[in-house]
Amino acid sequence: MADKNEKPNVSRRDMFQILGAVPAVAAVASTDHAHMHMAPEPVATKGPYKRQTFDDHQWHTVNVLCDLIIPADERSGSASSAGVPEFIDDWIQFRTEQDGNMNLRAEIFGGLMWLDRESKKLFEKNFVGASVDQQKQILDRIAYPAKAAPEDSQWVAFFNQFRSLTVGGFFSSRAGVADLPYLGNRAVPEWKGCDPKVWAVIEERMKNGYKGILEAKPWGA
Amino acid sequence: MPQSKAAPTTYDVVIVGSGAGGGVAAHVLSLAGAKICMLEAGEWYDCEKDSKMFEWPYQVPHRGAGTQYKPWGAFDATLEGGWQIPGEPYTTAPGSEFMWWRGRMLGGRTNHYGRISLRMGPYDFKPYSRDGKGFDWPISYDDLAPYYDKAEELIGVFGSQEGIENTPDGRFLPAPAPRGYERLIKSASDKLGIPCIPSRLAILTKSIHDRQACHYCAQCGRACSSNSNFNSPGVHIKPALKTGNLEVRTGAMVREVMVGPDGNATGVSYVEKKTRTEVEVRAKIVVLAASCCETARIMLNSKSTLFPNGIANSSGLVGKYVMDTVGSAVAGFLPILQDLPPANEDGVGGMHLYMPWWNYKEQKANKMPFARGYHIELGGGRGMPGAGALGGYPTQFLGGGYGVEMKKNLRKLYGCEVHFSGRGEMIPNEDSYCEIDPHVVDQWGIPVLRFHFKWSQDEILQAKHMQETFQQIIETMGGTVTHKVGEDKNWGIARGGEIIHEVGATKMGTDPKTSVLNQYCQAWDVKNLFITDAAPFVSNADKNPTLSITALGWRTSDYIADQVKKLNVKV
Repeated sequence: MADKNEKPNVSRRDMFQILGAVPAVAAVASTDHAHMHMAPEPVATKGPYKRQTFDDHQWHTVNVLCDLIIPADERSGSASSAGVPEFIDDWIQFRTEQDGNMNLRAEIFGGLMWLDRESKKLFEKNFVGASVDQQKQILDRIAYPAKAAPEDSQWVAFFNQFRSLTVGGFFSSRAGVADLPYLGNRAVPEWKGCDPKVWAVIEERMKNGYKGILEAKPWGA
Repeated sequence: MPQSKAAPTTYDVVIVGSGAGGGVAAHVLSLAGAKICMLEAGEWYDCEKDSKMFEWPYQVPHRGAGTQYKPWGAFDATLEGGWQIPGEPYTTAPGSEFMWWRGRMLGGRTNHYGRISLRMGPYDFKPYSRDGKGFDWPISYDDLAPYYDKAEELIGVFGSQEGIENTPDGRFLPAPAPRGYERLIKSASDKLGIPCIPSRLAILTKSIHDRQACHYCAQCGRACSSNSNFNSPGVHIKPALKTGNLEVRTGAMVREVMVGPDGNATGVSYVEKKTRTEVEVRAKIVVLAASCCETARIMLNSKSTLFPNGIANSSGLVGKYVMDTVGSAVAGFLPILQDLPPANEDGVGGMHLYMPWWNYKEQKANKMPFARGYHIELGGGRGMPGAGALGGYPTQFLGGGYGVEMKKNLRKLYGCEVHFSGRGEMIPNEDSYCEIDPHVVDQWGIPVLRFHFKWSQDEILQAKHMQETFQQIIETMGGTVTHKVGEDKNWGIARGGEIIHEVGATKMGTDPKTSVLNQYCQAWDVKNLFITDAAPFVSNADKNPTLSITALGWRTSDYIADQVKKLNVKV
């Protein structure tokens, strides 16, 4: 074991020299703790994203649907501004290759067709041409599995799938990581354990029956 | 790649494999002055240059998601390997399920493993004496304890002095303080009488041996760009290369051990993958450390007139008694963790706390329905969001929805999930073994392994106990169980090999009729053939194997060096 009198941990500067040897790591100009974020900038893409899955009309619908699911609010932008439609377009192609079948593609394509069919039936317009209130009227039928009509079960499954892709694509994006926020993936010179502010909240809640703040919600599938 | 220029035609030692077992042998023997040739089937790897540290999922294709041949995702420190390797199949016998993770790269699986470093305890070496099942080791805890000391001092393991039954303390670096959800889990464990103590991981919380201390980014599985966790290339092989006594050949897929007319090994033959040519390396001593099952494969394929059933296999036990670890998992959702103040919860790459087995006394008193024990590994917290992060949450926890309200609620749910994985002891049995498949070869023309595997009731009932215990812990914290498995699926017990703790296949013992190796991991039948991976293991305690591979490999290497000095081995 290391001798107790051994020199303390390497200096912050030494550590950054070592880490600087990693090609992907951006040079760190400041040793200020607040600026110790080590992440490199995103790899520059060569031109705009090239679609692999959706045609123009589907693409339009996917963009609208993504932003109905994750709109902009005071903390972060919408799903489309975070590149979620691109993520979904790529993901469907990726899964098609990995799984050796087109089941996911079929589910998403089929669901998008249903949105248009229902919208035309009710409002005589494509889904993207309908008003936001009209769009929400359709989504409300399929967005709450426990309340949905049994005859809508396939479209509930489609929306669960599409919502899962949208949410997962958003919170794994650069904007979504900052939204949560996830504050790691950086070099920390000294690990201090649980932040006292975090523990104070947990401890308080332990005294009050281990409850959270969203109990009113219908937990569980 | 560094190689000694004047390579001798006959080496003192040839080592097959560069992981934990091959690495420690190369380290100890090169420092003792032996001229060594190490053969690695994969390519060169240097964590300080090749690690994907600090990259974000959104910077790589498909957010870094796993693929068929890269199952643990883009950042996993596995160059070529996984459950399947193109052109290198293995088979399973009808009725058996077995998964075999191979890491073809310098350092093998030490580059990405969990760094969990638990000493086997005194009971673990004499399990047959304790409960009449399995076999006793030919050595005791006291025989290996000095080598656990050496191993921990070299590789660097953090932990705490606890004095818990059959859970030996070690030469530890300071343990990192627990995260919030871990403190919560500890308080629940305390209520239930389950010990919850600092984990023991081979990650540096202080700088030692010119290696940097950890920078707490939680991504040890990517391999560490500052060499702050144990990995064979950075800790064993680098210093060994500095002695000038070690030559490493990568892309070398070993076919067989060669034997001379006197029955001693004369070296090994391998396929140089790049050129598809057969190469022979001559050495006075052969050390196999290709990983438990690959080592058995090489031995079974080393057939000659002297050894028609494979080299050093007069007992017929090469390939027998393959063991994995019993695994079963439960996940839970804890409302108490909702919407906590923002904080970086990364820490080291793995748990800061764990629960060692706590029912030794009940077991001794025949009050438990199964033999042997397990420890509990825990996880959770606000980790790095990868592909699909929070994707299932609306359906799972919010009853569905969309829009701003759902977005706001999702943030509050981030980090509310915890999970518990049991890691328990499997007792060796007659139905779990590997053999050469008579019909299938790999792309190098080397016959492949066929696996047979079966869990016994001891393991299945252990998984049941895991399921019940973990659910109890979650409920104690006011949580909801979100993933559990019942009797219909054998309580979620993992498939054979799935926990990637394969050990056994060339067991040590005191009698050449009932074991392959003596207590120094030297083949009874071939005095200059040694094994330093997990193949010599006689049992598979719930203590993850890598630290014990390192300690046992060190003891074997010391013995080899000593025997060479005394000329007890033909050199």
